[in-house]
Amino acid sequence: MTVAVLFLLAQVTPASIATSPNADWLTYNGDYAATRHSPLKQITPDNAKNLVAKWVFRLDGAKKLEASPIVYGGLMYVSDTNQIYALDARSGRQVWRYRATGAKGARVNRGTAILGDNVYFVTADCHLIALNRLTGNLVFDTEFASFERGYTASIAPLALKNGILVGVAGGGSGQRGFVASINYQTGKEQWRFWTVPGKGEPGFETWGGFPAEMGGAPTWTTGSYDAALNTIYWPTGNPWPDFYGGRRPGDNLYSDSVVALDGDTGKLKWHFQFTPHDVWDWDANENLVLIDANFRGRPRKLLIQANRNGFYYVLDRVTGEFLHAKPFVKKLDWTTGLDDKGRPKIIPEKIPTPAGTKVCPSVRGGSNWMSPSYNPATGLLYVVTLEQCDIIIASAKEPVPNSGFRGTGNEGIPTEPGKFYLRALDAVSGDIKWEYAMPGPGVMWAGTVSTAGGVVFSGDDDGNLVAVDAKTGKDLWHFSTGRSLFASPITYMIDGKQYVAIAAESDVFTFALFGQ
Amino acid sequence: MAHALAQLPRDLASIDAGRQTYMGACSGCHGATGEGSQGPSLHSGRVARLGNQALISVIKNGLPGTTMPNFPLADDKLRQLAAFLRTLTSPAIAAPLTGDPAKGRASFFGAAKCTGCHMINGRGGHPGPDLSNIGAERTLPQLRESLAKPSARIAEGFRTARVTLRDGSVIRGVAKNYNNYGAQILDAKGQLHLLQSADMAKLDIADTSMMPPVSDINDLLAFLATQSLRPYEGAAR
Repeated sequence: MTVAVLFLLAQVTPASIATSPNADWLTYNGDYAATRHSPLKQITPDNAKNLVAKWVFRLDGAKKLEASPIVYGGLMYVSDTNQIYALDARSGRQVWRYRATGAKGARVNRGTAILGDNVYFVTADCHLIALNRLTGNLVFDTEFASFERGYTASIAPLALKNGILVGVAGGGSGQRGFVASINYQTGKEQWRFWTVPGKGEPGFETWGGFPAEMGGAPTWTTGSYDAALNTIYWPTGNPWPDFYGGRRPGDNLYSDSVVALDGDTGKLKWHFQFTPHDVWDWDANENLVLIDANFRGRPRKLLIQANRNGFYYVLDRVTGEFLHAKPFVKKLDWTTGLDDKGRPKIIPEKIPTPAGTKVCPSVRGGSNWMSPSYNPATGLLYVVTLEQCDIIIASAKEPVPNSGFRGTGNEGIPTEPGKFYLRALDAVSGDIKWEYAMPGPGVMWAGTVSTAGGVVFSGDDDGNLVAVDAKTGKDLWHFSTGRSLFASPITYMIDGKQYVAIAAESDVFTFALFGQ
Repeated sequence: MAHALAQLPRDLASIDAGRQTYMGACSGCHGATGEGSQGPSLHSGRVARLGNQALISVIKNGLPGTTMPNFPLADDKLRQLAAFLRTLTSPAIAAPLTGDPAKGRASFFGAAKCTGCHMINGRGGHPGPDLSNIGAERTLPQLRESLAKPSARIAEGFRTARVTLRDGSVIRGVAKNYNNYGAQILDAKGQLHLLQSADMAKLDIADTSMMPPVSDINDLLAFLATQSLRPYEGAAR
């Protein structure tokens, strides 16, 4: 008898999210530390060749799914632009669907959060919507930023304590970024941290008088959390205008940074800025992975990130101290290196001009928001990387917010197409231990999931979900979805069967071992 | 002039005048509530997408090559008629109210016992459709039909289901989904049962709704028509 009677399951609590992932996958990155490492080990390097498709589900109207699903109590939640589906995770059958009728904008959506009896997602026009997880009935609909003022949202919210944490997109059009905590039951905002300091606040002086309201530093990807330190780590995006910095002289805090925030109040504890005074659109919105490891002979609490600017960073997450950095892409030419505080020494010729400047990595970056994963057994971070350069053209026009103005833009170099690689970095040294080339058209935006079975799953640039050996990068299995991939896979277990799922443009594909 | 013709009245008296014109001139072919009989249904998206001027032109000039004749009515009569036709396809929130929403609210959360099955903004029960945004998603005629004849049209995911499990126990609720290989049943307590065919001895799906018909609908209709999560900004056409 395999009757799953969901009402018997307890509500989702912060404590249960803290133990995720296990059989379930309860938050965007699986765990608060953003390692995306599952303890499931039914699928191994020996048997991965026996993976077969179990079901495919098409989301009506979906064109470019970027969501990482959440799985709890037999249901899978998948979000898309202004809509969310609940599916029977064993069969792929729709249980309910919610559409935010009347929502404006059509931005992609990266996923959901779950807490108590509710699931949460954001609309493109910045409403946080809470729905009963079993029925899809509306609990609340709260607007947290103004679409009319140019804000949009694509983020998978983070359920933390009694709050649902949200951030905004819009760094390319002149808004002021923030992270906000919204009460998970009432929909009322509890605190807000602005990522651009206002007049009179520390850091305002790093903008040369540029208005904070236009500063950017958006918060469009999901942060991480360390319960022992009660600290939230949130990544921020580029300052605005993206490619022209003449009106914003200074470092432009807290753009392109990690901000460490108090878990109860959202107050700033420390920050580290990866790319001061960015003129290349190198958002630092890549996942912030929290690991504990020996660093130069002593155990430390580390925060690691493969940043869009091409460097792999190791920080002390207690203090924010810069410990180490190393390029993880070969095409990197904008700096002669970092000083002992992690500040880059910029090559002046690499600052974009109206005539156009070749810069490596490209605007898309050495990596981007696609999720890396970390396996504590191998000590490796699995990260999808892009080898590419761009021509960046800067403008000196007066910036006009909310007009699509970005300080001009970038173009690819037709004779030097981008090439994707799945790379395994030693998490302490940043050394590349192996790499798996992903030939294709250079369009993918898929991430990874790591498993205790010793298998890493990743999307590739040719529309395949691939399984590789976590230790060696050896190709174990692949499945062509017939789509391009813009999402990161997850894994979960029901009735003793381990599943792997990935969203692909319009459909969710799910796999398990044959005969299991 | 064309512009003036395209402006439709929104007051109740004009729309009621339009309804009377409709009953006299149109209902013979299009049905008493526009549901269609000899002539096509006027609830369709094709009608909804016609601009005001185009709609009036079709009435005034007829459709050559079809059985739709011309109705050379005075301009104000045409506008009243078009305004009434709009209520057939506009969201209920855009339609003029004939009942008292406050009385409807009291009834919804009270004597009419709607909240045994339905929820609005987190208040109420589970197995029926959530009605928090129903005024923006349904037309007035659709809402009226759902109240008066709940079984006339059952939304996907809300068919009455009765499952006998292999152990003989019975689950009653609505089928969120079902096929030959399984069923997803939400029972009256809001408990969700994810079943595979191996779990089930028998699955009965009824063609009738769990909902009883409502006799006194005017105030309830007015209350439901106002349920919209976002301000109504006019039809996009």
